[in-house]
Amino acid sequence: MFRLLSTFALLLALALPPETQAQTVLKINGSTTVNLPVAEAAEILRTEQGMAIQVDTQGGSSGGLSMLGDGLVDIGMSSKHLIDSDRSKYPQVQFEEIHIGEDAVAMIVSRDVWEGGVRALSREQLQGIYEGRIKNWKEVGGADQRIAFFNKSPGSGTWEVFANWLYGSAKKAPQVSFPEVGGNEEARNKVASTRGALSQLSASWADGKRVFPLALTTEDGRLVEPNSTNIATHQYPMSRPLFLLTNGKPQGLAQTFIEFVLSERGQQLVRKHGYLSLDQIE
Amino acid sequence: MRRVFDRFLTGLTALCALIGVSIILMIVAAVVWRGGGAISWDFLTDQIRLVGASGGIFYNILGTLILLVTALAVSAPFAFGIALTHGVFLRKTRSRERLMMWIYVLNGVPSILLGLLGFIVFVLFLGWGKSWLTGGILLGMMMVPTVAVSLSERIQALPSRYLDAAAGLGLTESQRIWSVILPQSFGGWVTGSLLGLARAAGETAPIMFTATIFAGATLPTGIKENPVLSLPYHIFILAQDSFDPATGEKLWGAALVLLLLVFSLSLAALPLRLHLHEEAKTS
Amino acid sequence: MASVGFTAFAILFLIGMVGIFLWQSLPVWQQEGWSYLTGERWFFRQLEFGILPMIYGSLAVALIALGFSVPIGVGAAIFAAEILHPRLRVPLKIAVELLAGVPSVVYGLLGILFLRDWIYSILTPFDPLSGDTLLTAGLLLGMMVLPTIMTLSDDALRGVPTGYRQAARGLGLTRAEVIFSAIFPQAWRGILAAVLLGFGRALGETIAVFLVVGRQDNVLPEHWFSLRPLIEAGQTLTSKLGGAETHIAYSDPLHWAAIVGLGLVLLAIVAGITWLAAWLMRAKEVSDAPGI
Repeated sequence: MFRLLSTFALLLALALPPETQAQTVLKINGSTTVNLPVAEAAEILRTEQGMAIQVDTQGGSSGGLSMLGDGLVDIGMSSKHLIDSDRSKYPQVQFEEIHIGEDAVAMIVSRDVWEGGVRALSREQLQGIYEGRIKNWKEVGGADQRIAFFNKSPGSGTWEVFANWLYGSAKKAPQVSFPEVGGNEEARNKVASTRGALSQLSASWADGKRVFPLALTTEDGRLVEPNSTNIATHQYPMSRPLFLLTNGKPQGLAQTFIEFVLSERGQQLVRKHGYLSLDQIE
Repeated sequence: MRRVFDRFLTGLTALCALIGVSIILMIVAAVVWRGGGAISWDFLTDQIRLVGASGGIFYNILGTLILLVTALAVSAPFAFGIALTHGVFLRKTRSRERLMMWIYVLNGVPSILLGLLGFIVFVLFLGWGKSWLTGGILLGMMMVPTVAVSLSERIQALPSRYLDAAAGLGLTESQRIWSVILPQSFGGWVTGSLLGLARAAGETAPIMFTATIFAGATLPTGIKENPVLSLPYHIFILAQDSFDPATGEKLWGAALVLLLLVFSLSLAALPLRLHLHEEAKTS
Repeated sequence: MASVGFTAFAILFLIGMVGIFLWQSLPVWQQEGWSYLTGERWFFRQLEFGILPMIYGSLAVALIALGFSVPIGVGAAIFAAEILHPRLRVPLKIAVELLAGVPSVVYGLLGILFLRDWIYSILTPFDPLSGDTLLTAGLLLGMMVLPTIMTLSDDALRGVPTGYRQAARGLGLTRAEVIFSAIFPQAWRGILAAVLLGFGRALGETIAVFLVVGRQDNVLPEHWFSLRPLIEAGQTLTSKLGGAETHIAYSDPLHWAAIVGLGLVLLAIVAGITWLAAWLMRAKEVSDAPGI
């Protein structure tokens, strides 16, 4: 047994160089939405340039922000704008928002709701649903079916965009309790498999096969669908930017990474995952 | 009438046992059915690509193994200390019972709380960031009761003739421990450790805040800021956030690999436990 | 002696955990006091922290798990210990051990894939919101806790000396009567301990519950025995701890304190139950029939 232990200790000692190598690893964390092109970009850079990059999605956009603020990561991924209270939580940190693409938040419904005739919702109707005043689809032009609303989990940039549009600011959103969904896939799965379901989802994930994106009814009665044109021209109200956040101007590995994402290859990745690249936005 | 009740009870309890067995069979069947197709040499030796949509789980397996080896090393001194204290140093039955109760309580601590504690102490206080060592330490502490109890039982079950012979030869207590008790109870350490490792291999909660990430880690190069990939965390994230229908099979493939790992560890303990049990019965 | 040192550390580990959780959660105790435990509303954005619904969720889910696993587990244990041919004991034991080893994340996957949809379709007449409910989590937990109950009950039953069985048989009792009149009175403590340990394990399980419980806050029935919330989504102490809030809470001292407070409450409950179980089993010597 002693031999075993000493062998292990030896291996351990060999594996530990005198200095930790924290500076040569690029750490990224944040939104599951932004993660798609970023993770693939990381993979490419790892393979082609041997860069050491770690990507994680803990805590969503808010998690990306707070880990950047706490100094735990080098780049934060966010699918919403920074607001004043974000900045004031970390007065020492100089947040840089680097725009890498555009996406939108769609309200998606399950097949039975779509085929029951509901194709659009207005802000007032959504507020009614969110606040629990409207509980059945028949109140908004659909079939007699209970509305199963799934709310995005805390920290989600998608939720903040939704709350911003509905109430002007996330802070003004009322206190509600709904079942929670985490990342985009979980949201899509839950909505697809539940009758009368409604949730917020990145527009590029609403495939029109399992889940269906609703149009939003504007004040003047127009129906605006979350398609590329409307998102690019910002006609669709819940479009949202995709950001990489850094503390101060990006340097070193972070700079290399961000330059890659902003390059044509990187922007191709953005498009590949259904988002709008920078050149497509107006 | 009494015979009828007897038959009825036999049937009912047999049904219960059958339900228990069929649950495990169904679980294995489901995982094999869903994940069997993903298993290939490439799957096991390649790294994750496209966020789990293609590639393999090599570094996840490696990460889990690193955590397990560390946990084994961390748990050993504690388990031996406790088993010896219980079996040799504590004379009064009362004290022994008290110690065992503490060990039981330690065993019952929910693994998420170990993760929370590890997050507070290692990530926040010590500023280690995510580290494989933290994961190993937490999993090791989680294993301690299992290993300690197995060792303890083994020590208790040592045939008295060994200890009598040692006393007859005039050995000191220290010599008795190192030359007789420890070597003879080694089997208890092995079985306890295998069982403990089987549990540790499948745990997500202790390591998800403290030691593991989803992508980008290979071999650790230091202690601080050196997370590893792991099988259970990989499965947990993909279960919520699989990005592509193609990952479906790979997700279950990872689950199958994890299941095989855990089963192998559990089953490896079995022959030794049977042997030890027989020996205890006959002496 | 080093042994005693290591032992002492292991014990202090537990005390240290309590201490650290207490320290980190101090702000919420100071701010809310008892209303933290009795409060019915958790709205973290407005810094309102009441955890009663989560305590309810944890208890409900664990009790459902016991409701499933105790009858089946004890029944199977009776079968294995008293009725089954000794040759078949080992295969059964192996099956139970393997079941016990299945990782919670795999159970979670199975819950997502199979159990959730199955419960959703069964509950359709009652108009559930979705398949992720307290009931779903409870049943999944029941399967996870079953091997624990089975193994420990089996140990308890086998711990009864054969003399009791022989005497009862000699009096002409049937096997069933032997079990109920002679064995049970001796083994009930061990079986109760098994149930308590299963309860503790069910309360502490995170990953599987997280995936299928729905994670809806502030679910509390009007009457404690109303069954409606069981088919709705809910939240447990563990599903909250394992979720997104733990990652973002650290930036606010009160929010962080509330999260760690959950850990403290969970620890207190589970440690208490486990201690009780260990106390019940104290009569059994460690050397009694280890393992098989």
